[in-house]
Amino acid sequence: MSEQSALSRDRFFLKADRITKIYSDGTVALKEASLEVRPYEIVGLLGENGAGKTTLTKILSGLLPPTRGRVISPKGPIRFSSPREALDFGIGMVHQHFALVGTFTAAENVALSHDRPFTRVRIAETQQALESLMEESGLRVPLDVPIEKLAVGEQQRVEILKVLSRDVELLILDEPTSVLTPLEVDELFELLRRLREEGKSIILITHKLKEVGSVTDRVVVLRHGEMVGDVKTSEASTEQLASLMVGQALEEEADAVELSTEEIPHKRERKPIDRSGDGVLHVRDLVVNGNTGEIAVDGVSFDVYAGEIFGIAGVEGNGQSELVESLTGLRVPISGTATIHGANILGIDPRQIYRLGVAHIPEDRWELGLVLPFTLAENAILGVHRWEEFRGPLTFLRWGKINRHVRELMDRFDIQATGPNAPARSLSGGNQQKLIVGRELAKDPAIIVASQPTRGLDIGAAHYIRKTLLDMRDKGCAILLVSADLDEVLAHADRVGIMYEGRFMDVCTPDELDRKRVGMLMGGAKSKEGE
Amino acid sequence: MSPNESSEQSRLLRGAHRTLTGLHPALESLLAALVGLLVGAILMYIYGFDPWKAYMGLVKGAFGGSYEIASSLARATPLILTALTFSICLRAGMFNIGAEGQMYMGGIASVVVACFALPTGLHQIAGLLFAAFAGAVWSLVPAFLKLTRGVHEVISTIMFNWIARWLALYLAIYVIVDPMRPEKTLSIPMSARFPVLVRGTDLSYTIFVAIAFALVIYFILWHTAIGYEVRAAGLNPTAARYGGIRNKRTMFLSFVLGGVAAGLAGATIVMGLPPTYAIYGGGGLPQLMNLGFDGMAVAMVGRNHPIGILAAAVFFGGLNAGGRVMQFYGSNPVPLEMVRVVMGAIVLVMSIPELIRLFPMIKKQGGRLIERLRRITRRTERGESA
Amino acid sequence: MSFQDILSLLRISLHAMVPLALTAVGEIVGETAGLFNIGLEGILLLSAFGGALAAEFGGPVVGLLVGMGVGGLVSLVFAVINTYWKGTQMVTGIGINLFAMGFVAFGLIQLGAPGFHDVPKAVELTKLRTPMGLMSPMILIALILPFVIYWFLKRTRAGLMLKAAGEMPEAADVAGININAIRILAAVSGGILAGLGGAYMSVAWLGVVTKQLSAGRGFIALACVVFSGLNPLLALLGAFIFGFFQALAEWVKTLPSKPIPGEFVSMLPYIITLLVVSGAIGRVRFPKALGEPYKRE
Repeated sequence: MSEQSALSRDRFFLKADRITKIYSDGTVALKEASLEVRPYEIVGLLGENGAGKTTLTKILSGLLPPTRGRVISPKGPIRFSSPREALDFGIGMVHQHFALVGTFTAAENVALSHDRPFTRVRIAETQQALESLMEESGLRVPLDVPIEKLAVGEQQRVEILKVLSRDVELLILDEPTSVLTPLEVDELFELLRRLREEGKSIILITHKLKEVGSVTDRVVVLRHGEMVGDVKTSEASTEQLASLMVGQALEEEADAVELSTEEIPHKRERKPIDRSGDGVLHVRDLVVNGNTGEIAVDGVSFDVYAGEIFGIAGVEGNGQSELVESLTGLRVPISGTATIHGANILGIDPRQIYRLGVAHIPEDRWELGLVLPFTLAENAILGVHRWEEFRGPLTFLRWGKINRHVRELMDRFDIQATGPNAPARSLSGGNQQKLIVGRELAKDPAIIVASQPTRGLDIGAAHYIRKTLLDMRDKGCAILLVSADLDEVLAHADRVGIMYEGRFMDVCTPDELDRKRVGMLMGGAKSKEGE
Repeated sequence: MSPNESSEQSRLLRGAHRTLTGLHPALESLLAALVGLLVGAILMYIYGFDPWKAYMGLVKGAFGGSYEIASSLARATPLILTALTFSICLRAGMFNIGAEGQMYMGGIASVVVACFALPTGLHQIAGLLFAAFAGAVWSLVPAFLKLTRGVHEVISTIMFNWIARWLALYLAIYVIVDPMRPEKTLSIPMSARFPVLVRGTDLSYTIFVAIAFALVIYFILWHTAIGYEVRAAGLNPTAARYGGIRNKRTMFLSFVLGGVAAGLAGATIVMGLPPTYAIYGGGGLPQLMNLGFDGMAVAMVGRNHPIGILAAAVFFGGLNAGGRVMQFYGSNPVPLEMVRVVMGAIVLVMSIPELIRLFPMIKKQGGRLIERLRRITRRTERGESA
Repeated sequence: MSFQDILSLLRISLHAMVPLALTAVGEIVGETAGLFNIGLEGILLLSAFGGALAAEFGGPVVGLLVGMGVGGLVSLVFAVINTYWKGTQMVTGIGINLFAMGFVAFGLIQLGAPGFHDVPKAVELTKLRTPMGLMSPMILIALILPFVIYWFLKRTRAGLMLKAAGEMPEAADVAGININAIRILAAVSGGILAGLGGAYMSVAWLGVVTKQLSAGRGFIALACVVFSGLNPLLALLGAFIFGFFQALAEWVKTLPSKPIPGEFVSMLPYIITLLVVSGAIGRVRFPKALGEPYKRE
């Protein structure tokens, strides 16, 4: 079925030619990214969250159309209008969130992507074919158990088998190791090497530097939708890759934007922080489960003191979300303690946690932070709608007071909207976030838990939010800042914990870190001293 | 232009802009209603009727005189309440199709209360309370099943509709039956009846009960913290949880309120519909039948908002009342069943979201108009500050 | 209760089972693909009406075929609204029911007698003589079809595609399946079966069209679907049980002394469904994407 079987080692299989992708909400996911895919080669696609890795591969595998640019085969430019066409061409993708039907068995899932609708599904034949495929590839899975009953690692193997059974020439894997044990990772890489020997091309999306080093031939680095590096793995050091991945320091960027001295965080006037005793937030040995039962937070301990910003850096998906959820009443941890000024905050209602002085700027402002069809005023009281100042007898809402409060917020935080009755979805992302920040700050909190607070915002809004957080810090508030934006964390935090696979790799001050070391820690590599 | 004039103008324009965007859902309902009437007209034409004459008869019968208007309002009364049942639960994110059954139980309950002797005034209140209670109980079980066992509320409420129908039939035919006229239940005594509002019509004071309840629901949903929680939980349960709202409790509450509304609907029929003030058992409870489903149509056209529901109920009540007249109007009258055809077509059309988008021209024109208004508003504002 | 009585109960149950079984199995096909059609009641009414009219012109078989066509057409409208136009399935279904109630009542008046219309004996589907009395051959079809559909869903790739579209449309999309097209096909097939059930009622069983003909059978069929957990064989069993209780209720009403009021017997099928769905008797599982329109990314 594939047309590329006679390629020599010099020809290419597929090329992405200056692909630009702009989503319907205006987000620029890719900016003129180009990538060449060759046979007998494993390419690592490296980058932080939002760098555009998944978007690029979705375009290659036919799920999304590019806004500009083309995909080119040796025979000329091609366009896939569905994943099926890409599959027929020879491109198969193993998604991060498996495209498997849970109630089907492995055999049934594989049979789904083969032809001819009205024939009898020859489960026996499919099973036989799969058996031999399993022999060849070394991937073993029970074939007649419904997928949803299998372990995550086994499910992924089914996903890979499904793609392999279609005799693909290009295999794309999106962060495949995040759900595997180290042993399974080794097995997977063995398989990838074998496939490479057969002449296949492989794209491995990852943010883990160690993996890149161990199995790839070439590394392509994406940052903010642009290609910033394309080097042979053997010729690049981990440090180089790390700095490519995380880019320039904020100071250099700040110079470019001409900020005043006041706004460059490091250069602000600072009060000394009192770190005697426990912090406002005191966490010990916190263990939290993720959605699929695996351990997401693996024994984390830290304190956040008044007047300081404690930053948690790290690529998303290493437990940060679960950590924040467990501290804000949205997830019940397995073990450990966490207190605010001594009062327990684990396993209780969010409303009670807010009363204890916690403000939460959530990482997903649409899903979590706002009810989009609601007006500004209605969103401004989310979480505090039962507080006395807004509520009269019989839980009647004092809209007069609420509207006044919202207008104040709009003034103070410069929220652009037609009025308190504008629907929240009519606001820009920056204004929505300012609304949430204003709402949370109005609680007069003892600690602010800010999770990805500037994600998806334009520079102006992002700077505004950061300035607000700094102002609160100067007033004596404690701030827990969780961000996948390394620059942000390094520039604003007094202390930084770098999170990887549920644990803090290290906790130190930004001065003790240089960019390269941080990038390495984020990628799971230990520093030279520690190794 | 002097500064005062331009600021006045910009204020007017801003008001117009806001009204246009706020009216958008009402426009969709209007459009659906027009399409429904059009479908009816086409069908009438095919069968050889004169649609224009028919609609004239319809309008005359609905709003042609005080008798007609009263008749429309009387038909609207139970519809307001059953529509509220559907809407309250929909606002909480649930589909409560059980208004029919909850209404039957409410009707039965109010007949039962009538059997006790109570002074006027108290008797009516008791009747309403019992009916509300019965409706609430009947909707509580599906709510309970949903919350504890995850039973889909559509299935459970439909099942309860049918159980209620048979239970009500049994009670109406055997238990609370009128010994002298077995085709109906006992009539409730004078002390329990709601007086007639307009002499000679069947519009009684129960309409005020319905309107009052609608207003109460409006206040609860938009002016209390509890109602706020219900709406938030229905629109975004995740964010509601973040806001400290206990979603299970709000869903439960919405079902209870919905059941109360439906129960009251049954009460308005029993206690407010002359001349019998009773339930007819034969033929499957003909006075009550289908009011629950019709209520859903009303709810949708009323955009699930109490005020919209009031308007939509009057519209549908008018359709029903007018239909009765239409079937005698002119030389070749149209049977009143056509009304239900129109209703069904309206609901069908309403199920298409963003109906306006299917008419790209309308949308483009409307959008261009709004854009022009916005630009003028901005320009005059700038003119102000200059 | 004599042996004759039992036989006649059985006979009536089998007859009553037919529309339920056909409609339920048809809805199973639709729901497997992810579409929840609450408008079955309306489809039954419309196809009963249309089928009866067509039978008067072309005979019983034509009547049945037209009934199937009506059912398919209405389902097509439903499906298009709820796939390509991203509608709300619940609301569309309610609209269909309302429309059908009005249309059939209206149409009956046009035919002469308000409220009912006799189908001339001549164009009814002939019943066959059996030891149990006169029985319609449609019963055979109703008994066999669930097995066919069961085999189809389980063993053909089309069945797999349907299940994938209903359970995890994202996976089906990646496998190259056109979700909207397959949902429309499934719904239309289901509508054709329901249409057959409706036409059966007027042309092959009761011989009359009334504005109440369906009498809630559409909703009972939905209950059968729930009861069956989307298994056509169990739906057949459910249809028989419901048909049995309907027959039983009728029979109890004819008894001189009434041990249990007929109304309570009529309630039984619904109570049983509730119990089943509540998990008291077995656990029922529905496709995850049921009721949701599919949007790609």
